[in-house]
Amino acid sequence: MAEMIEQRALQPPVRRAFRIGLIAERLLLVAVLCALWWLLSLSAAPYVLPGPQRVWSAIGVIASHGDLWQNLAITFWRVGVGFIVAALVGLPLGIVLGANRRAGEFFEPVLPVLNTVSSAIWAIFAIIWFGISNATTIFVVFMTAMPLIITNVWQGTRAVNADFIELARVLRMPDWKIMMKIYLPTILPYFFSGARLAFGFGWRVSLVAETIGSSSGVGYRLRQAADLVRTDQVFAWTLTLVLLMAVLEMGVLSPLERHLFRWKKEAEA
Amino acid sequence: MTADDRSRAASGPCSGEDAPAISLSKINKNFPGPNGERLEVLRDIDLSVGDQAIVALLGASGAGKSTLLNIIAGIVKPDSGRVCICGAPNDELNDWCAASYMFQDERLLPWRTAIKNVEFALEAASTPKAERVRRSADALRLVGLNGFESAFPYQLSGGMRSRVALARSLVTEPKILLMDEPFSRLDAQTRGLMHRELLRIHEMKRMTVVFVTHDVEEAVLLADEVAVMSPRPGTIREIVPIAPSRPRDPIEPQVASYIRRLRGLI
Repeated sequence: MAEMIEQRALQPPVRRAFRIGLIAERLLLVAVLCALWWLLSLSAAPYVLPGPQRVWSAIGVIASHGDLWQNLAITFWRVGVGFIVAALVGLPLGIVLGANRRAGEFFEPVLPVLNTVSSAIWAIFAIIWFGISNATTIFVVFMTAMPLIITNVWQGTRAVNADFIELARVLRMPDWKIMMKIYLPTILPYFFSGARLAFGFGWRVSLVAETIGSSSGVGYRLRQAADLVRTDQVFAWTLTLVLLMAVLEMGVLSPLERHLFRWKKEAEA
Repeated sequence: MTADDRSRAASGPCSGEDAPAISLSKINKNFPGPNGERLEVLRDIDLSVGDQAIVALLGASGAGKSTLLNIIAGIVKPDSGRVCICGAPNDELNDWCAASYMFQDERLLPWRTAIKNVEFALEAASTPKAERVRRSADALRLVGLNGFESAFPYQLSGGMRSRVALARSLVTEPKILLMDEPFSRLDAQTRGLMHRELLRIHEMKRMTVVFVTHDVEEAVLLADEVAVMSPRPGTIREIVPIAPSRPRDPIEPQVASYIRRLRGLI
């Protein structure tokens, strides 16, 4: 059919050459930062600013007796549990608050208040309630992540297109299917960006919680290294954590988001 | 007795077996106006649409033609009067005489591919997945979109999106197709193409079609009968049968005279 020529480009918008160039650029950036770090470390005492080689060997030391992986794993587990519970609570609560106007209006002021409470305060409460235990860190992650997820999901429910609901009703679709097929896909991008934010925050506050309320985990090790003025180890812990987050972000979250939301027009390009 | 029961009792039962595809009698509908007053949108509408016919509801904006279509579809309840679909009240679900509704916009779900958008119409009833896919692929082929099953709406042109919406309306194998200014957002050339597509599919499937339009030419080119509506209150001023056989050309003298006549009526 002749008018089919009007089709738009259906090939994926990612250009290979462009991506390779991007990777080269990123590597260059890392090299520049390392060089800068090395230059600065030349004019400072090692306990103030250890150089790259010193930190590298410190990483080797903590990695060699399994210390690194053990503590990363325990911190990761705590963040994971706090985050998953926050998502399990936040997603339905956000939907309920968005679907029920009265409840939404009633509880609206609670979220900004929750968001302004510092995680250090949650950590102190957690120690009072749970003592030195896993629950302390999990609680702090949960209290930080949950309001973020609720806020985003709530926003998502407002974005649900009434025309799509009408379409489903004309097709005589039952309410629970409208929930699954219209509400959830609309909310998903909002949930995803909320969850991503919450996960990042969760990581950061988990360290705060671990420095004061734990006897294991990366946060605990960081404080220990600082107390012993092992600045090279403080750097080693920090660096591995940053690297891990970068890998998670670029290796898992970004590709997942690109796949889930491939139906969106590439507006950012 | 609720108002609903009363209106049904007053208008009697639908006529049963060999009834016309759609039959409306004494339909009245009021909407509350902006200052609390009563707006009479439809007054005493009688209309009968024969099986396999194409009928246009033609009128200026505000003539209540979309409201009338929504009443036929069962989306809007009339204040009084009787709506019968294939001889049964339209608030009863009848599988043997299903109606499909096509909106003014394409209304495709942006997160679904073309074929998944067509499948959506089959997901209300629990059609098995394999059958859903097969029938949806058939419907897309029917509207000339084979090869575009896995394209997302943003990757399709306006005409192609319109075809997906048409495929979604047809995939349920409706006996009746209701269309609310379905192609009004397309450019003139694409609209012409969609008209030919609709007529081709009507030749094959022989469903009854009722569509709303304010475009006289569209009404004359497509319809067997044009119901001309006039506003405030909305009434059917005249029902004009269009005699020439399809496909019709607007510059043909006989077709052109219908167009002139209907322009004078609205």
